[in-house]
Amino acid sequence: MSADARLARSPLPVSLVLGGLLSGSILLVALIGPWVAPYGPSQLGTGAPLSGISLAHPFGVDQLGRDVFSRVLHGAWLVLVLSLSGTVLGFLAGGILGLVSGQRGGWFDWLVMRGCEVLISIPILVTALLVVALVDTQTIAPLPLIIGVIGFVYAPRIARMARSAAIEVATRDYVTAARLRGDSGLRIALVEILPNVSGILLVELALRAAYAPVLVASLGFLGFGLSPPTPEWGMIIAENRGLIFITPITVLGPGLMLAVLVVGINLLTEGIARVIGRSVVRTT
Amino acid sequence: MVLLRFILLRLLGGIAMLLAVSALIFFMTEVLPGDVATRILGRNPDPERLAILRATLGIDRPLPLRYLEWISGILQGDFGNSLISGQPVTETLGRRVLNSVLLGALALAIYVPLAVLPAIAQAVNRDGPLDQAISALSLAILSIPDFLLATLVLIGFVVLLPVAPARSIVEASSTWGQALHAMILPAATIALVMATYAMRYLRDSLIEVLQTDYIRMARLNGIPQRVLIWRHAMPNALVPFLNVTALNLTYLFGGVVVIEQVFSFPGFGALMVGALLQLDVPMIQATVLIAAAVYILSNLAVDLATLALNPRLRHVG
Repeated sequence: MSADARLARSPLPVSLVLGGLLSGSILLVALIGPWVAPYGPSQLGTGAPLSGISLAHPFGVDQLGRDVFSRVLHGAWLVLVLSLSGTVLGFLAGGILGLVSGQRGGWFDWLVMRGCEVLISIPILVTALLVVALVDTQTIAPLPLIIGVIGFVYAPRIARMARSAAIEVATRDYVTAARLRGDSGLRIALVEILPNVSGILLVELALRAAYAPVLVASLGFLGFGLSPPTPEWGMIIAENRGLIFITPITVLGPGLMLAVLVVGINLLTEGIARVIGRSVVRTT
Repeated sequence: MVLLRFILLRLLGGIAMLLAVSALIFFMTEVLPGDVATRILGRNPDPERLAILRATLGIDRPLPLRYLEWISGILQGDFGNSLISGQPVTETLGRRVLNSVLLGALALAIYVPLAVLPAIAQAVNRDGPLDQAISALSLAILSIPDFLLATLVLIGFVVLLPVAPARSIVEASSTWGQALHAMILPAATIALVMATYAMRYLRDSLIEVLQTDYIRMARLNGIPQRVLIWRHAMPNALVPFLNVTALNLTYLFGGVVVIEQVFSFPGFGALMVGALLQLDVPMIQATVLIAAAVYILSNLAVDLATLALNPRLRHVG
């Protein structure tokens, strides 16, 4: 029985289906949220401030009288766009660097890997905070800055992973053949090596995509994100945190949405890993 | 001799990494924010005043020279003075680091049983309902951002079930009992975050070890399950656990920022965030360097511990 036939017969893993449903629902919210939200993202006086959970205000009303549910709906696309484009950026930069480095070897490889190790030795959140705090927002607007920061913290980590995957493949005969044929390093990396490490890379991509919303929200929560009154979820949680003793729902609501998104992507990761027969390896 | 050379090389590598990271941090913090003097004097400053201020701040000299001065200062225990308070960075830093070390020690004490016991329960009941339930729960906790988890703990144990104070303030006058009471919630939250990662690795490596021939043989010899797990399987499943624990140590000095913030704990992470928000450059340099040093040193410690735990590796030249 061929591998394809076996794959077609075995049912899809529960984690894949459930993960797809959860993250798909957040995607849907991001797409239609701004149109179905009952109020504007910064509309004041939508109800009695701090009035708590009600049918008209499922996530309560904040102290300025803004409807938190509407703010969450308006902010969903922001969270997704920031975290996904940051992940893709880091993945492209790190992936290409790692693959080329792994198959070229020599001093180039040594230099790239030592550089990556130096960058990796500063924890992700610390690096992200450092760059956001130091770069003047007059030079780079906050939106591209945050996307760039996610790419910057992910790139060396993905490069290291892609390199070790590439090295395993680089000694195979078909790679040697391509090298003897005179193909360029980039061409060998993309045409010969990439297809054979795509499984590992896919799991890594999913894993990083799951952490990116956490990173975005953590930056917003700590006051290093976009500027208020942007309805980014971490910032909404930070705005209402001082009042959790009065209206916990204004924190729990956006928190629940964020958790659904991250649980969804994590389940998707486990599902993908199971389908392609890989294990999920979490690194810093 | 081979072993000694390996340890020596590894130590030298660690020192080289520390130097490289310190250079990266220094140049980033000095170059990225732009010229400090220009920021103080505002747009279109008088060139003469600018030159005077730059000379006073000592930033008119070349960067590499200032880096060397900074490094030699650190080697003598001097991280410079805070731009905000004017106090030596080392004074504030020492207190905060001590707080975080205490918090980290308490968290580690909770973390080990919190990671090991469920992992054993999972490995023994492999693919059973208990295994799957713990897996699902740990994935869920893993997926909840730290600051949210901390906030949930705060709502649960301060608002709904008031057993702990809302602000985890530890003062010099606090007794050990008071300090413990103040630190228990943040420590438990940190332990929970760390344990969910470690648990998954330990489960997988325990399952792998339990399938080996020597464990089967021991089982056939009638060795009781308890002895089998703790004496025979555990030591061989520990290496991945150690690796994750090293990553977790790094988390204590960098990732824990948000948890400290939620519990208003006066630790190292909160100091770093404060310094970053106020662009207190000497303080930023010191805290980020320490976070990186903890990462490098704990990785080094794990390499050496792995060596100590696995006698076979000692002979690999």
